[in-house]
Amino acid sequence: MKKVLNLLLTTIIIMSLLVGCTDNDNNTPANSSPKNTNDATEDFDTNKTINVITREEGSGTRGAFVEIVGILEKDASGNEVDKTYTEAIVQNSTNAVMTGVTGDKYSIGYISLGSLNNTVKAVKIEGVEATPENILDNSYKLARPFNLAYKDDLNPLAKDFIDFILSAEGQKIAEEEGYVPINTNPPSYENIDEQKGSILVAGSTSVSPLMEKLVEAYQELNPEVSIDIQATGSSAGVQSAMEGTADIGMASRELKDSELAELTSLSIAVDGITVIVNKENPLENLSIDELKSIYIGEITKWNEVIK
Amino acid sequence: MKSKFLENFMRIIFFISATVSIISIILICVFIFAGGIPFLKEYGFKNFFFGVDWKPNDIPPSYGILPMILGSIYVTFGAIIIGVPIGVLTATYLAKFCNKKIYKFLKPSINLMAGIPSIIYGFFALVVIVPIVRNIFGGTGMSILTASILLGIMILPTIINISEAAIRAVPKNYYEGSIALGASHEQSVVSVVLPAAKSGILSSIILGIGRAIGETMAVILVAGNQARIPSSITEGVRTLTANIVIEMAYAADEHRQALIATATILFAFILIINGLFLLVKRRR
Repeated sequence: MKKVLNLLLTTIIIMSLLVGCTDNDNNTPANSSPKNTNDATEDFDTNKTINVITREEGSGTRGAFVEIVGILEKDASGNEVDKTYTEAIVQNSTNAVMTGVTGDKYSIGYISLGSLNNTVKAVKIEGVEATPENILDNSYKLARPFNLAYKDDLNPLAKDFIDFILSAEGQKIAEEEGYVPINTNPPSYENIDEQKGSILVAGSTSVSPLMEKLVEAYQELNPEVSIDIQATGSSAGVQSAMEGTADIGMASRELKDSELAELTSLSIAVDGITVIVNKENPLENLSIDELKSIYIGEITKWNEVIK
Repeated sequence: MKSKFLENFMRIIFFISATVSIISIILICVFIFAGGIPFLKEYGFKNFFFGVDWKPNDIPPSYGILPMILGSIYVTFGAIIIGVPIGVLTATYLAKFCNKKIYKFLKPSINLMAGIPSIIYGFFALVVIVPIVRNIFGGTGMSILTASILLGIMILPTIINISEAAIRAVPKNYYEGSIALGASHEQSVVSVVLPAAKSGILSSIILGIGRAIGETMAVILVAGNQARIPSSITEGVRTLTANIVIEMAYAADEHRQALIATATILFAFILIINGLFLLVKRRR
């Protein structure tokens, strides 16, 4: 009994200690906590350094971002160098990037459009807002396709599944999940005869969440079917599709020429990449060049991009 | 007859239980080294260990883990500077100075500290320590300093518990002899008991180092994770463990092998630390 009581008291003390710490923190005059400030932009000091947040090497989001923005430099002999600023903080998930940007008002990061919420502020790129419409008409530049890759001799079940993804039902799921459907006026899915069997879909961890929803819906229509998803990463997924160990590969990037020689690529949705800053940041718009300069460390102060 | 069979049967059961841990450690050794050594051979141990560029997605890629090795060492060293004095003093206080009532309260709190999942420490550091460091030193607040403070706190239970046991294990007549010679309580504890418990305290520090170097989830949240050699303690840093966890999900082929090789190096470090621990323990 005494032990339990002791434990309880300890927990309470620790809790109050934690609360105490945060309170102190908020009361320090030097720290103007975002929550207490009414006017967002008033005390944003543009002389401060930009705290750049990026994703880890190998991430599909980073891969697409560095390629589109031009941070990835290619030379004639096929060498590719990712010039991302070495002082950039590396976070390994979309959530971690958002937490970083929410907590630090001088930071900048990028996330998938599907994950954007109101804790952060999205920046316009070249004056264009990141919306599904702008991505669809190509005016918003930071977008990447979600691709499927498969061999031509596809089995009937996999073929039917792909038909489902491209149908009105499948594209609606993509839209509900926050992605941009590839097909604005798709045919509706016709379940001609009930499918049986099992297939394996492997690849990008960015595409997997969408794929899970698609499989769920497909299995409701075809209860006899089992579809396994392996989130192994774009390159690994395409590799297994080439080797035949997976029926369909998922990639959150365009396929390389060597891969296209063996596989057919099919785009199923488009995902926008949103550049995000803290809500206190007055920044509204960035050009691709400015964005590139920030991410390779040429622009390091906010006053160079906020006029 | 029946009881003899039961006895033999149970003996086997006990033996199997005892071998499970040994078998798993052997399997871990085999897989980590079998997975890492081919890559080390192919890429070159020197290029890997002393390379300063970690750019796995460039063409041609470079896999140098020196920044991460230094990162792990810096952060661990910082944790020791912060954690060891607090830990050893707390242990001394618990064993020799504090009254029973306070002890009953302190001891469970310290045990509770050991049981808190590391990700919770990480989150605590992210919302509390990071803003404080940012306000005082500027920059992003995600730095060697932040990670060191966090790890310094995290290794406290290890250091306190083992040091306290070591201090309590010092024979009572050392202390009594010192008192009899006219030394005060404080003098006896600091100049007689503590030196006598030296090797126990040292092993607590070594185990603390082991914990700090292996800590992953908490450090990822607050260290910034830049894969380059840091030039000051307010700059971010990436540790060996962070390097593996951050990139494993997306890594393929050679990149993946490089991460397994990173684990091999980390494992070698842990083996060395445990070897030191055994050495210190034997001398006791």
